[in-house]
Amino acid sequence: MTRLPVADRRTVRRALRDLISRHRRAVGIVLALHSAAALAGLAPPWLLGTIVDRVTAGTVVATVDRLALAIAGCVLVSALLSRYAQYAGHRFAERAVAELREQFVSRTLGLPVSVVERAGSGDLATRSSIDVATVGTTVRDVVPVIVIASVQLTLLFGAVFLLHPLLGLAALAGLPSIVAVTRWYLRRASSAYLTEGAAAAELTETLTTTAEGARTVEALRLADDRIRHGTARVTGVWQARRATLALRTVFFSAVEASYPLPIAMVLLVGGYLLAADRVSLGAVVAAALYLQQAVDPMDRLLQWTEQAQRGFASYARVLGVGLVPPEPPGATTTSRGERLVVRTARFSYADGHDVLHGIDLEVQPGERLAVVGPSGAGKSTLARLLAGIDAPRQGVVSIGGCPVTDLDPAERRRRIALVTQEHHVFIGSVRDNLAFAAPDASDEQMRAALATVGADWYDELAEGLDTALGDGARQLGAAEAQQLALARLVLADPHTLILDEATAALDPSTARRTERALAAVLVGRTVIAIAHRLNTAHDADRVAVLADGRITEIGSHDDLVAAGGAYAALWRSWHAHADERQR
Amino acid sequence: MPPQIPHADPGTPDTRGPMRYLWWLVRCQPWRVLRGSLFSMAWMTGLSAQPYLIAHAVDDGLRARDTRALTLWVAAVVVAGMALSYLGIMRHRTMTFIREDAKARSAEVLLRQLSRIGAALPRRSAAGEVATVGGSDIDWTAQVLTLTGPGVGAIVACGVIAVVLWSISPLLALCVLAGVPAVALVVGPLLRRLERAESIYRKQQGALTARSGDIVAGLRVLAGVGGRDLFARRYAARSQDLRAEGYRVGAVVSWIDAATVAIPGLFLAVVVWLTARMAVTGAVSVGELVAVYGYVASLIVPVWFLMEGSHQLIRGRVAAQRIADLLRLTPDDVGGPGRRWPSAVPDARHPDAVAAPSGPADLHDPVTGLTVHAGRLTAVAADDPAAAVALADRLGRYVVSDTTWGGVPLTGVALDEVRARILVADHDSYLFAGALRDVLRPGSDDERLRTALRTASADDIVDALPAGLDTPLDARARTLSGGQRQRVRLARSLLAEPEVLILVDPTSAVDAHTEARIADRLRTARAGRTTVVLATSPLLLGRADVVALLSGGRITATGTHEGLLEYVPGYRHLVARGDDDPVAERPADAEEAYR
Repeated sequence: MTRLPVADRRTVRRALRDLISRHRRAVGIVLALHSAAALAGLAPPWLLGTIVDRVTAGTVVATVDRLALAIAGCVLVSALLSRYAQYAGHRFAERAVAELREQFVSRTLGLPVSVVERAGSGDLATRSSIDVATVGTTVRDVVPVIVIASVQLTLLFGAVFLLHPLLGLAALAGLPSIVAVTRWYLRRASSAYLTEGAAAAELTETLTTTAEGARTVEALRLADDRIRHGTARVTGVWQARRATLALRTVFFSAVEASYPLPIAMVLLVGGYLLAADRVSLGAVVAAALYLQQAVDPMDRLLQWTEQAQRGFASYARVLGVGLVPPEPPGATTTSRGERLVVRTARFSYADGHDVLHGIDLEVQPGERLAVVGPSGAGKSTLARLLAGIDAPRQGVVSIGGCPVTDLDPAERRRRIALVTQEHHVFIGSVRDNLAFAAPDASDEQMRAALATVGADWYDELAEGLDTALGDGARQLGAAEAQQLALARLVLADPHTLILDEATAALDPSTARRTERALAAVLVGRTVIAIAHRLNTAHDADRVAVLADGRITEIGSHDDLVAAGGAYAALWRSWHAHADERQR
Repeated sequence: MPPQIPHADPGTPDTRGPMRYLWWLVRCQPWRVLRGSLFSMAWMTGLSAQPYLIAHAVDDGLRARDTRALTLWVAAVVVAGMALSYLGIMRHRTMTFIREDAKARSAEVLLRQLSRIGAALPRRSAAGEVATVGGSDIDWTAQVLTLTGPGVGAIVACGVIAVVLWSISPLLALCVLAGVPAVALVVGPLLRRLERAESIYRKQQGALTARSGDIVAGLRVLAGVGGRDLFARRYAARSQDLRAEGYRVGAVVSWIDAATVAIPGLFLAVVVWLTARMAVTGAVSVGELVAVYGYVASLIVPVWFLMEGSHQLIRGRVAAQRIADLLRLTPDDVGGPGRRWPSAVPDARHPDAVAAPSGPADLHDPVTGLTVHAGRLTAVAADDPAAAVALADRLGRYVVSDTTWGGVPLTGVALDEVRARILVADHDSYLFAGALRDVLRPGSDDERLRTALRTASADDIVDALPAGLDTPLDARARTLSGGQRQRVRLARSLLAEPEVLILVDPTSAVDAHTEARIADRLRTARAGRTTVVLATSPLLLGRADVVALLSGGRITATGTHEGLLEYVPGYRHLVARGDDDPVAERPADAEEAYR
C-alpha cells in the first residue's frame, strides 16, 4: 500500500499565507475589531484603579457614579465590538472552509483510481471526513479563540508595560515555566488525543456492530466472545484516557501554579516603586487586576493550542491529496474504429508476481464475449486493463489501434464503460443516481432504462425518480442497486461495455432475464461479460476460459463443448441431469 | 482513587427512568463522588482567596507602605496559588475518574445487553440508534455527573462569598444572592438556543461530510462510467448552502456570545458602583472595594459551572433515557421455558425444560410438512426465497412454531441447548471485525481452520491475504468480494460443528467452478451429520441425499435430484434457471473438470 502524500510544513505555511492574503481585508477587519473590543475590555480595571485613586484622595459620590457608569459603558461597547468581530471572523472562516472542502472534493474526483486503490480508500475516507471536519472546526472555532486570547493578552501585558515598564517586566515572571511546560505538553498531546479518539471510535464501532450482528451473535453463540472483545475496547479507552489525563495533570498543575507569580512580582515591584514615588497606588492595583484578568485568556490559549496543532496536522493531510498528480488528460481523444486488441499483456499488482501471463485477445465491434474461470484466475484484472483503469506491465491493450490508457479519461469512460459487482448507491434521488452517466436523458428514458433491467421495485416508489435513496431514506438491496447500475449503463450507451459480474447479486432467473433484456437494448455494442453463471456464457458469441492468468480455451459455446475440455466438463455437470431426461 | 476498569461485574443498572439510571451511576461510586464534591468545594471557595489576599497586600502592604506586611501577603498569594493549583488538578482528576467510571459502566452494561439480546435487536432498534447511544449518549450521560463535583462546589462557593460579603456589607451580599440566580436564569436559556442553532448547522455539516464520503466510496463507479464534473458541481452547490447557513448561525451565535459576556459584566459594574459609593462615604475601605471586585469577578467560574451544569443535565437526561430504553429491551418470545432473562449463566439448563433428544434426531416442520432426517444431507428447493427463510427460522426456533425434534416440541427444549446443537447459517450473517482466524472461530487451531476453509473452497482467500489467517478484516469484511465473504461465512458455520447445520443459500455468489467444488466437499465434511441446504442450484441439489420441493408453502415432492427432474415439471422449471434451451449432451462425471 502506497499511502497518499502529506504536505510538509513549508507547503502548509505557504497555503496558510495564500489563504490570508486572499482574504486580506476580512482578516484585517477581524483583527481590528477584536483589538478594539479587547481595549474596551481593559477599561474596567483601569477605571476601578481610578476610583481607588479618587477615593483615596477623597472625592464625591457624583464622580464615582460617573466612573461606574463608564465601566458599564465599556462593558457594553466591548460586547458590541466583540459581537461584530466574532461575526466577521465567522463569515471569513465559513468562506475559507467552504473553499477548502470544495477544493478537496474536486481534487479527490481528479485522482486516478489506481492511486486511490493502492492507498486504500480508508485513508481517503478519513481525510474527507475527519480531517476536513477538523480543519473546519479549527478555522471556525479554535482560531477565533486563539486570535481573541492573543489580542487580549497582548493588550493586557501592553497595558501593564504602559503603567510602568518595570511593572511590565515583573509581569513576565510566570512566562518561562509556562512556555517550558507547554512545549513539553504539545510534543506529546496530539498523538495521545488521537489515540484517545481512535480508542473511543473503536468502542463505538464494537457496540454498533454487535447490535448489527445481533442475530449472528445469537446463532453462533458469540455473546461471551463479543463481551470479551468489547471489554478489551473499554480497557483501551480507559488506558488512552489515563494517558491524556497524566499529560493534563502535569500541564495544568504547572501552568496554574505559575499564574500567581506575575501578580506577586508586580505587587513586590509595585511596593518598591511606590516607596520611590514612581507610580501611583492605583497603577499597581490596576496592574495586579490586569494580570488576574489575563488568567482567563491565557487558560483558553493554552487549552486550544493543542487543538490548533491537530488542525494543522489535518490541514497537511488535506493538502496532501492535492499533491498527487491528477489523472493525465491523455494523448488523444480519437481512435480509428472500435476493435479491442490485447497483445501479450502481463500485469502484476504491487507485490510483484504476475496475475496475467501474456494475454492475447481480439474482440470485434458488436461481439459479445463471455469470460469464465475460477475465482482468482485474473478475470477482474483483465476487465480493468480493458477499461484502461490499469496499464499492462508488458504488452498493450488498444482500441482502434490506440492504447486505451492514451485516450483522454473522460472520452474513454464515454466509450468504454465498466460495471462491477460493487453496487454503490449515491446519496440523492433515483434521478441523481442515473443522470450523472447521461446528463441529457429525459425522465421517460430513465424510466424506460429501469424497465429494461427489470427494476420492478421502481413502480412501488411513491415519488418516482425523485425518491431519495441511501441512509435514512429508501435503502436499496444489493440486487436493486445492481439494477440501478445497469440502468445507468443503458442510459450512458457506450459502444463497449465491460460487465464484471454485473448481475451477480440478482437471483439466477432474474439475472438471466436482465441479461437478455440488456442484450436486446445494447444490440450492436461490444459486450465483454465476466460471469460466474454458465448461462451467460451460453448466450454469448464467444467464450474465453481464463485459468491462472492465461486464456486456456476460447471459441463459441458449441465449439468449446464439442472440444471436450474443462469448459465442456463444467457445462455437463451443470446440465448433466437435464440431459438425462432426453435419453 | 482511580476506578478499576474494566469492572469485573458492572452491576445491574436501574433502568426505570433516566434519573434513576443517573443515580445508579452515582451509587456505584459513592466515595469517589464524595471526594469529587469536597475537592470541588475547596477549589471553588479557594478561587476567592486570591482577591482576599491581594486586597490585604494592597491595604496592609502597599497603602500602609509596610514592606514586611507586603512580603508576607505576597508570599501568601504565591502559596495560595500553588495550593489552588493542587486542588484544581485533584478536582479535575477525581471528576475525570468519576466520569470514566460511569462511561465504562454504561458501555459494559450496554455491551452485555447487545450481546445477549440476540435476533430481536435489529427489529426492535435501528443500528443507527445504537451508534448514537455508543457515540455520544454514553458521554453525555457521564457528563451529568460533573454536577456532583463543581455543581455542588459552585453552590457552596456562592454561599461562602455571600457570607464574606455580608461581613463587608449585607446589601452587597443580598445583591449577589439575588444577582447570581438572575444572571444564570437569563444566560441559561441563551446557551440552550446557542446549542440548538449550532446543532442544526452541525447536522447539515454532517450531511455534507457524508456526501464527500459518498463520493470517495463511489470513486470506482465514477471511474467506470464517468460523471465526475457533475458530482463536483453538486457538492460545491451544497457546500455554498452550508456556508450561507453558517452565516445565519454566525449572526445569532455572535449575539448570544456577546450577551453571555455582557450580562455578567454589567452585573459586576453594578456591584462595583454600589461598593464605590460606600467607599466614598467610608462605609468600606479601599482594600475592601478591590476585594469586592475580585470576589464578584471570581464568581464567574461557579456561575458558568452552574449554567453549564443545568444545560448538561437537560442533555444528559435525554441521553440516559435512550440508554435506559435500550437496556429495557427484551428478547423475542420464541416459546417455551428456555429463555431466562437476563441470563447470568448462558449455558445453564432451565429447570422446566423438556429433555431434548440425547443424540441426533429427526426434525419435523408441520407447516410445510418437511421432515429432516438425522444424519442425512437434505436439500430444499423453494420457489419463494421468503418461504425458505421462514422455514429456516422455524427449524432453528427463531419464531414460535410446532416444529418437533425427535418427537419433542422444539419450543419445550432449553433455548441454549437448541442454539448449541442447531445452527441456522444465514446467507447474510454478520462478519465482525478482527483477524480472520478470530472471525472464523476464536481459539480454534490452524489444522481445523484449514480443513474448514478447504471445504468452503476458501483456502485461496487466505493465501491472497497479506498476513494469511492473521490479516485483520473490517466489520462486514468489506475488503473481500461478495463471493469471498460467502465462503468465509460457510467456513465459519462448518467450524461451529453443530449437530444440525441449516445453510441458507450458501453459494449464490460464487462461480460455478467453485460451487461444484464446495458441493462435493460439503457432502464429505458433513458425512453422517444432519445438514439442510436451502438452495436452487443444481450443483448443490445434485449432491443431496434427499431433495424436497417447497412450492406454494408446502413440500410438494420429495426424492432425489434426478428423480424430481424427471418426474416433477415444477422442480425442473425451478432449478433449470429459466433455461429453455436444453442441450443434448452425454451425461458425464462432472468431477473430471476439477481433477
